Amino acid sequence: MPSISQQPHKFDPPLEPDLTSGKYVKIWHGPQHPGITGNMSLELTICGDEVAHCKTHVGYLHRGFEKLMERRTFIQNFPVVCRIAVPEPAFNEYLYAAAIEEIAEIEVPELAQWLRVLNLELMRLASYLMWLGGSSGSFGMTTVYQWTVTHRDYILDLFEEMTGARIYHMYITPGGVRAKLPEGFKGRVLKVMQGVEKLLYEVEKVVFNNHVFKLRSQGLGIISKDMIDEYGIVGPNQRACGFERDLRKDQPYLVYDQLDFEVVTETESDAYTRAWVRYQEMHQSVSMIRQVLDKMPEGGSFHADLPNVLHWNVPAGETYVKAECTRGEYGYYMVTDGSEYLQRIHIRGPSYTHAVSVMEKLAVGINIADVAGLMVSLHTYPPEIER
Amino acid sequence: MIDAFLSVWNIVPESLQWLILTMLKIVAIVAPLMLSVAYLTFAERKIIGYIQVRTGPNRVGPKGWLQPIADAVKLIFKEIVIPNGANKFLFIIGPILAIAPALAAWAVIPFNEYWILADVNAGLLYVLALTSVGVYGVIIAGWASNSQYAFLGAMRTAAQIISYEIAMGFALVGVLVASGSLNLREIVLAQEGGVLHWFWLPLFPLFVIYFISGVAETNRAPFDVSEGESEIVAGFHVEYSGMAFAIFFLAEYANMILIAALTAIMFCGGWLSPFSGVPVIGEPSLFWLLAKISFFLFLFLWFRATFPRYRYDQIMRLGWKVFIPITIVWILVVGLAVVYQLPWWFD
Repeated sequence: MPSISQQPHKFDPPLEPDLTSGKYVKIWHGPQHPGITGNMSLELTICGDEVAHCKTHVGYLHRGFEKLMERRTFIQNFPVVCRIAVPEPAFNEYLYAAAIEEIAEIEVPELAQWLRVLNLELMRLASYLMWLGGSSGSFGMTTVYQWTVTHRDYILDLFEEMTGARIYHMYITPGGVRAKLPEGFKGRVLKVMQGVEKLLYEVEKVVFNNHVFKLRSQGLGIISKDMIDEYGIVGPNQRACGFERDLRKDQPYLVYDQLDFEVVTETESDAYTRAWVRYQEMHQSVSMIRQVLDKMPEGGSFHADLPNVLHWNVPAGETYVKAECTRGEYGYYMVTDGSEYLQRIHIRGPSYTHAVSVMEKLAVGINIADVAGLMVSLHTYPPEIER
Repeated sequence: MIDAFLSVWNIVPESLQWLILTMLKIVAIVAPLMLSVAYLTFAERKIIGYIQVRTGPNRVGPKGWLQPIADAVKLIFKEIVIPNGANKFLFIIGPILAIAPALAAWAVIPFNEYWILADVNAGLLYVLALTSVGVYGVIIAGWASNSQYAFLGAMRTAAQIISYEIAMGFALVGVLVASGSLNLREIVLAQEGGVLHWFWLPLFPLFVIYFISGVAETNRAPFDVSEGESEIVAGFHVEYSGMAFAIFFLAEYANMILIAALTAIMFCGGWLSPFSGVPVIGEPSLFWLLAKISFFLFLFLWFRATFPRYRYDQIMRLGWKVFIPITIVWILVVGLAVVYQLPWWFD
């Protein structure tokens, strides 16, 4: 029998160290570990303090959402989609609604589009605030976590007023949004934005100019340029590497083409730069929210005329919609067959590649103390990895 | 009443009298110490709470003042879980070895010119020796737990404490040269004459290094790699629960208070008043010592709320490559100043 020689593939996992040699110790970093971002775990093989091999384990939070959604009517799926990425459900709601709109060819009124952008940008800001706190918390700076979570809470108060719920608000529905803005809401948003800007100014002084934070995060987990396309790295992780890619700019959806904002890029691509890019994007979000409040049409319909939600039959079709969430490109692939139910849906979240393959690659060779910081700097949500 | 007491007291043999008196003195030091440890945790939670824009504990008792008591009661009644595969004897002895030196070092601390439990001549050496023994408790606890996280934490602590002890020792050599004595009471008396005569001014680099090394020695943030929460969960005491954990906790805080007291005694004039010569407030008293200790304890808490945690190798670099060279150079400077009798401090 002829032997077939096989070229080693680029994605071949690194060889596992020989545990019997006595040089290595295997420890489990998670799932119950304060340094991990959620229900997942890293199986680390360490040599002294250095990580020699890292294997990601997911599956602690698999809820089978994609299959579950095939058994529910279209409107019943909303409580499911917003639980996919817990800290930022609005992006999932928007994409699910947008996919239905695209297949059913529903026109969304202009006011609704502005309200959606307002909702999404507030969500982005809230999600980044939580991440910023977690990021400094993973390096042992608990104070900033308390500060940012306070301000996230103010944003959640705004959501409560705007949508009726704090986290899972199901505000964006096919054809528009569920409600108009309440009376005097703009002023309250501006007040919260003022607070957030003051916080960001303080965070820059306390975190980004902090000697110890720089020592810890600079040079940590550098993503090289050729990894970007191979590993499918998107969002701020990619922009920190010098790629100027942002779906809001490249393929504008909703009313992003009428807003004035920059795509922030940096070149260092270490944990510090990734944090810095996100920090700058928070400033962009604040400015975008102000612009939305400024340019938003005063009146008009906020919802298209649609039949009773309980009897929707979306026509047969197939579509892929995508949007820029805080972690990068987020996509929904939807197939319908004209019945009351979805035929198939697939959700593409950036956390999967970031937390699994990229983490496994970057963790090798770093100190075990930096694993948590690296993990957080990639900004991943375990519930989104496995849905 | 007093007569009756004295008549009983005089029957007691003299050696027993001495023993009883010493025991009473020990209780007089340790009981307030334990109480201050309890309320230091309360102060910590309150102060860090205010730095983090929240109020801290405020539910148990009036304004939360019974919180430390409630914590202690909870810890006393919790079960001490000894993990499978742990070495039982060493697992129990670990916390004891950690707390014993933290309390024993208080024997030589002078609270004022006359209130010293043991006025020994080599007090400084005694303190250095005892603070070094504390590391055994940590190593033994980490090893006996049979857990990788605990072991990693124990190894880190051992290396860190040993390297910072060198910088700390050198800083104290400066004090020794400047005061010409190893007796803590005489070190304080050598600093008489107001805030500018204290050793913190001529020994400023040593003062800063001593205090920072003290923070590292007690494993407090930003040098808390031995229990780095987001890295190795809780380090050496990850497997401890109940009172066994509480004893580590007590040892850590007793050590903090000890370091604050030593800094006050070595560099800030102990019980001496900063306004020497001024009537009433210029009088030396216990109040000044307590005020100085509180100030340094506040610094401990302030550091914790402000700084991220250093990585372990960065701590070692700071200790060996920055602190030790500076202390050695400054010892030479102090030596020259003493030889040439620099006015104010060494004349």
